[in-house]
Amino acid sequence: MSYGLLIPELIIAASALIVLLAVFMKDGGKKFAGYVSIVALLISLILVLKDGLVTPTPYFNDTIVIDPLSQIFNMIFLLVSLLVVIGGIRYNEDKPHAEIFYSLLLFATLGMMVVAISNDLIPLFVGFELASLATYPMAAFERTKRGIEASMKYFVIGALSSSLLLFGMSYIYGVAGTTNIPQIADALSLNLMKPASLLGLLFIVSGFGFKMALVPFHMWAVDVYDGAPHLVTALLSSASKKMAFVAAFKILVVGLIALRFDWYIGLALLAVLTMTLGNVVAAVQRSVKRMLAYSSVAHAGYIAIAFVVISKSLAEAEIALAGGILHIFSHALMNAGAFIVAAIIAAAVISKVKPGEEDNLDNYAGLGKIAPVTALMMAILMLSLGGVPPMFGFWSKAVIFLSAIKADLLWLAIIGVLNSALSLYYYARVVMYMYYRDPVIERVNEPLMYVLPVAIATMGVILLGLYPPTYEWAFEAARTLLMMGGIL
Amino acid sequence: MVGPITLILLVLLIGAVITLLTRTREQARVVALISSGIGLLIAIKMYLTYVGGAGMQFTESVSWIPSLGIGYNVGVDGIGLPMVILATLISFLCVIYAWGEGNRPNQFFGLVLLMDMALVGVFASLDFFLFYIFWELTLIPMFFLIGIWGGPRKHYAAIKFLIYTHVASVAMMLAIFAMYYFNGAATGTYTFDMVYLLDAYSKGVVSISPLWINLILGGMLFGFMVKMPAVPFHTWLPDAHVEAPTVGSILLAAVLLKMGGYGLFRVIIPLMANPDASTVFVLVIAIFGVVSILFSTFVALAQKDLKKLVAYSSIGHMGYISLGVAGAVAFGASEVPRILAETGAMYQMFSHGIITAVLFGSVGVIQHATGTRIIDDLGGLTKHMPKLAFIMLAGFLASLGLPGMSGFVAEFAILTGSFSQIPIFVLLAMFGIVFVAAYHLWAIQRALFGPYNEHLGDIHDIAIYELIPLAILVALIIVLGTPNPICSHLFAEVMQPTATHILSMLPQGGLL
Repeated sequence: MSYGLLIPELIIAASALIVLLAVFMKDGGKKFAGYVSIVALLISLILVLKDGLVTPTPYFNDTIVIDPLSQIFNMIFLLVSLLVVIGGIRYNEDKPHAEIFYSLLLFATLGMMVVAISNDLIPLFVGFELASLATYPMAAFERTKRGIEASMKYFVIGALSSSLLLFGMSYIYGVAGTTNIPQIADALSLNLMKPASLLGLLFIVSGFGFKMALVPFHMWAVDVYDGAPHLVTALLSSASKKMAFVAAFKILVVGLIALRFDWYIGLALLAVLTMTLGNVVAAVQRSVKRMLAYSSVAHAGYIAIAFVVISKSLAEAEIALAGGILHIFSHALMNAGAFIVAAIIAAAVISKVKPGEEDNLDNYAGLGKIAPVTALMMAILMLSLGGVPPMFGFWSKAVIFLSAIKADLLWLAIIGVLNSALSLYYYARVVMYMYYRDPVIERVNEPLMYVLPVAIATMGVILLGLYPPTYEWAFEAARTLLMMGGIL
Repeated sequence: MVGPITLILLVLLIGAVITLLTRTREQARVVALISSGIGLLIAIKMYLTYVGGAGMQFTESVSWIPSLGIGYNVGVDGIGLPMVILATLISFLCVIYAWGEGNRPNQFFGLVLLMDMALVGVFASLDFFLFYIFWELTLIPMFFLIGIWGGPRKHYAAIKFLIYTHVASVAMMLAIFAMYYFNGAATGTYTFDMVYLLDAYSKGVVSISPLWINLILGGMLFGFMVKMPAVPFHTWLPDAHVEAPTVGSILLAAVLLKMGGYGLFRVIIPLMANPDASTVFVLVIAIFGVVSILFSTFVALAQKDLKKLVAYSSIGHMGYISLGVAGAVAFGASEVPRILAETGAMYQMFSHGIITAVLFGSVGVIQHATGTRIIDDLGGLTKHMPKLAFIMLAGFLASLGLPGMSGFVAEFAILTGSFSQIPIFVLLAMFGIVFVAAYHLWAIQRALFGPYNEHLGDIHDIAIYELIPLAILVALIIVLGTPNPICSHLFAEVMQPTATHILSMLPQGGLL
């Protein structure tokens, strides 16, 4: 048996340990740790892209499967981590213990990748916990009061959601007698044992609800995204949250597909609440970071439409899943880029404004004049988040709404597009501040290591939506998942 | 080998990117002039090689995203081609008109080119998804044109324009998705191909419940009516026009509004041919048309701001297009008047584009020279601005429908053609014409003639780079309004076959 397909994971695991060696270097090894991380992530990313849409290959008694779904999610995770690490080189210039930042980040990436490739509840949970545990301290990396508060909240909620998840999993195990996800699907389709499996479903949906930050489980997310350093927020909202989606895809869509009629109403309600509340609250925020945090909640609502469509109509499951995957991908890019732009601005104004005001929208006034490159990229990212064609954010959202219409869920699609139209208001407001107002600060540094990841994200946002193979990947990944669940 | 439409799109896109990257005003405007000029030349060449007939020409078709049935399909017919020419012509003249723009010229000219590209894309798309992308893409340049180069309340106007028209577009998007879905569910081929889908729906081969086809029709109509705009969905337009820079206003009124009218011809009429579609929509469109004409006329009478007056006149003229469409699809014993009404409405699309560009252009010159647009503060401008007065007078006379100018041809055809089908609506509209003439003449009289208002001081006449584009347009207005080969070719050989073809989708004799 060849382990070639597992090399990306192994590289990340090894490099997560290697960067710790930087502590023995004379200058603290900041540069060393950063560049090792970049190289490791880049090589892994290239390997994942090179293997592409592999035929599903099981490892370790079918507990792990590398398939198109895991490949596309690994790509997303590696890409986001890469963006964050490149930004981290600049970020860590004046921070002690850079190697810990990189090591935690790589471990978190590893955890996410394990979730993406696992085919069994046990490795899935282990990967989930690895990613979570690695990101708790990252939220408090600056050791400010806000950061530590955010980290504590994140830890407590994370522990709660993990225990809910584990509790739910144990019920499912009790009913199905196995932890292998496809086998759970088989077992449940034969013997439903309703009350026990419903209880398990309830706990699992709640556990994922926290991780995906669906309303009403979203309270923590906004505070954490707001309190954590910008780069960590980018990682949390663009990668860590997406990990919850892939886990939910695996457990709900594959494992618990027999219960789909029972999660229909619940998830429809969650999706509508999440979109609406996220957008309405985002529209009144003055802090760009909090606005992005709430918008990230709203986008989770759009993605959750995919679950609703699947539970309504299995015939449309493929396009719904593909839409969900596409939107996860596009939102990961847009959001990571936007948070790194917020990092640039916050770094530029930190000494000039009151503490806690560095993310205020007023600081973005006139950026079109003083920081033309950053402003242009931010404008593109904002319009993409608002769903303006021809950006990727429009395409992915369109596929989701298309799937809702196909499944005869017109009301859900209407709520979705109205939300999307509302969201354009607050995204466009950022653009208006940048281009229509006069600057309040004299100049903004645009450090290369911050601009580069934003540029990568922006290029992706512009090009990926127009690039047909993106869709082939997403549809292939969706088909694999459905085949695993025996739907296709 | 790329076809002419792709070539225009590429030239304009590349031109826009280069213009954005230029450093000086000189570079920006020269690049913009060259690329918009090339776009116009290609469009004219297309027109010269266009073979009179009904079908799509210059078509290109490339499968783009097969898993969703999205293709890059473009092509033009007798309504798409004049609109492509209008878009490229107006953009080219706008570049000349804005030759003296000093505020961020590279961004300004880049956005004009981007706008040009998006508009050409809208009028040439034969795939609903592509159509929607270009449709939405037009919002971005206009959002910036209003918001950066606009007047005092530009921020409010820009965001209102963006959100208002975006909401309408998403209604249209849902309707497009529903068309896509029902066709796919019935036939098994999921495609956004516009020609195919409209053909399928107009023949009624797609099994669809009456509720759904009417929802689709309603969603589409809402999207187009907001863009046109029809009263009562017009409230974004006066704000946008008043605050927009002159070039923005010209592009907005002359070409952007035409997207709504274009949608009526391209999408609404074939959908109304569906056997399950409600015939009430004929009445709805007619009412929208007449209400727009009457309402805008009386509101325009009361305007103090010259630009707002012109903005309301646009709403009225777009109302004629709705009226003509309603007259064309309504039941009538003979085909002839219906085709006349439809062709007249198409002619109005082109004619209003060039007329309103002259109006907004000359109002822009007045504002530039005198610093005000309030009619009462002007007066006697002929003394100091004779050239402008000539241009402006020609524009206003064309706008009120003076025979010998293109507006007359279009509106006469619409009213004559519609009369036998919907006489009451036509009479109501003709009642409005009296007041249309009144507010135009009254405004001209107060602004241009009479004693010179000495408060204005010593003002200079129109600049040469502003004069050239407006003079070209005035010449075109007269060419298209008098009997000559160019006019009759456009009317009878380009637009009429297409109008006949579109109407042939409807049941014999029309609806209602």
